[in-house]
Amino acid sequence: MGMKIEDLTVTFKNRIRAVDHASLEIPGGIFGLLGENGAGKTTLMRVLTTVLAPSDGRVSLDGILYCQRNYEKIQRKIGYLPQEIDLYPGLTVQECLEYMGDLSGISGQTCRERIRYYLERTGLQEHRRKKIRQLSGGMKRRVALVQALLNEPEFLIVDEPTTGLDPEERIRIRNLLVDFSRGRTVLFSTHMVEDLAATCNRLAVMKKEKFLFAGTMKELSEQARGHVWSCRAADEAAARQLEKNYHVSLKQYAGDELQMKLISKTPPLVECRPCEPTPEDAYIYVTNR
Amino acid sequence: MRYETKIALPSYKIACALFFVVMLSLVRGVTYSYEIGIAMEAPMAILAAALCADTWTQEITGRRWEIQRLYPMKKRISSIYRRLLIQELFLSAIAAAGYGLFFLFQSPGTATEDGLGGEICQFSVYLAAVVVTLFFWGLLSNLLSCLFRNMWAGTGGSLLLWLLTNSSAGDRCLGVWNLFSYTFRSVEGGDFRWVYGKIACVCMGIMAASALPGIIKRCHAPRVSLLNKKRG
Repeated sequence: MGMKIEDLTVTFKNRIRAVDHASLEIPGGIFGLLGENGAGKTTLMRVLTTVLAPSDGRVSLDGILYCQRNYEKIQRKIGYLPQEIDLYPGLTVQECLEYMGDLSGISGQTCRERIRYYLERTGLQEHRRKKIRQLSGGMKRRVALVQALLNEPEFLIVDEPTTGLDPEERIRIRNLLVDFSRGRTVLFSTHMVEDLAATCNRLAVMKKEKFLFAGTMKELSEQARGHVWSCRAADEAAARQLEKNYHVSLKQYAGDELQMKLISKTPPLVECRPCEPTPEDAYIYVTNR
Repeated sequence: MRYETKIALPSYKIACALFFVVMLSLVRGVTYSYEIGIAMEAPMAILAAALCADTWTQEITGRRWEIQRLYPMKKRISSIYRRLLIQELFLSAIAAAGYGLFFLFQSPGTATEDGLGGEICQFSVYLAAVVVTLFFWGLLSNLLSCLFRNMWAGTGGSLLLWLLTNSSAGDRCLGVWNLFSYTFRSVEGGDFRWVYGKIACVCMGIMAASALPGIIKRCHAPRVSLLNKKRG
């Protein structure tokens, strides 16, 4: 069970390349896709959900090749939460989910039971009678996620599901995705490193249309080991000088001084000591080396 | 059907349509009751085109189409048909109510010799003609919107055809086959040849309705990016 991407390229009509000869294997479980804004994550997800056809390369899902005759078969296996979606503003949460559940072919009773379960899991049960237009951004995001889970797809593709959520909601959604990933494949795209560190065993890092890294979270941290340095700057001018020369992943006042964490392949030319890389440091290192 | 009613007929659409009919019945002067149909058919066609244009394209503007395309095609299509039906029934109801409003606001005279029976017969004929008109223009507008994935293309395209057919040039060229043959009919001597125009509307409406699944399928197909190689 998994997805396989081989030498995938997506070029838009204005000749802008969004994915450039990317290859990746996504096994079962929860898989993270990390990258800066504009790295090509959403385009990749749109190919995987069959919204876009690739310009070149091969994609397969559970051994089924992405091609015209297989699209319907593939679409039945996928649940998708797009980055941006406006659900029906005039319907209540319950009505909207019942309508979308019906469209996806779930029978009435099963649909209602699943809605109740997922609304409870996402903390929306008490808001089920509210109209979509009356919900906050975070609530709308959670309703959109529930619609993606409703038909319990084998492959769930979620594009920045935690955007706009408060810390408690984020944890709740992360836990839900981890539970959901049992026996399924969940592709979780985000630019928030801590979300992936808390949920994924494996991840891929994208930058400028390409994969820079694919492996486990531990392997990602290993890549940065020996390249993260802790130092102190006497004043703001010294800190600015360091920022000019190195990637800084942490900067905070400690008394009169500034505590800083530098990412550098070679030891910085200031007094410093190596320190343990966090997933965020590792991400900065991998995307800037 | 309950959810589709809420989706296809939000309160702003209902309010706009009602306002339109009330204004029409106040502004458009009629002397005799047989003029009401003439006064109403063409404006109601524009209302149908405007109201039905976003039946499906609201899924694009709401960015829900990327999810919808994962649903079974049969379910997607039947949902669009249901939305269209709901809108068309609503339009038919306000077209009927609008006829009554003309009586209420303008008290037109009667030209039939059969009294109330004649008026009811005249209203029934009007209703049959206007229902066909509404179904045709609603379907056309939605079809064009789906084809170009833009509701303004649907409204604009329909308006263009409306201008061509609802004109003396259109009447001269198409005669009894004109889409607005009821409006241009001869009211004397029980001339019912305008029915041909409505038959043309029904035929084209059926064609539009049957073309819809193919167009939706095409709209939902993976969008081909540049340099796409031919795939099996």
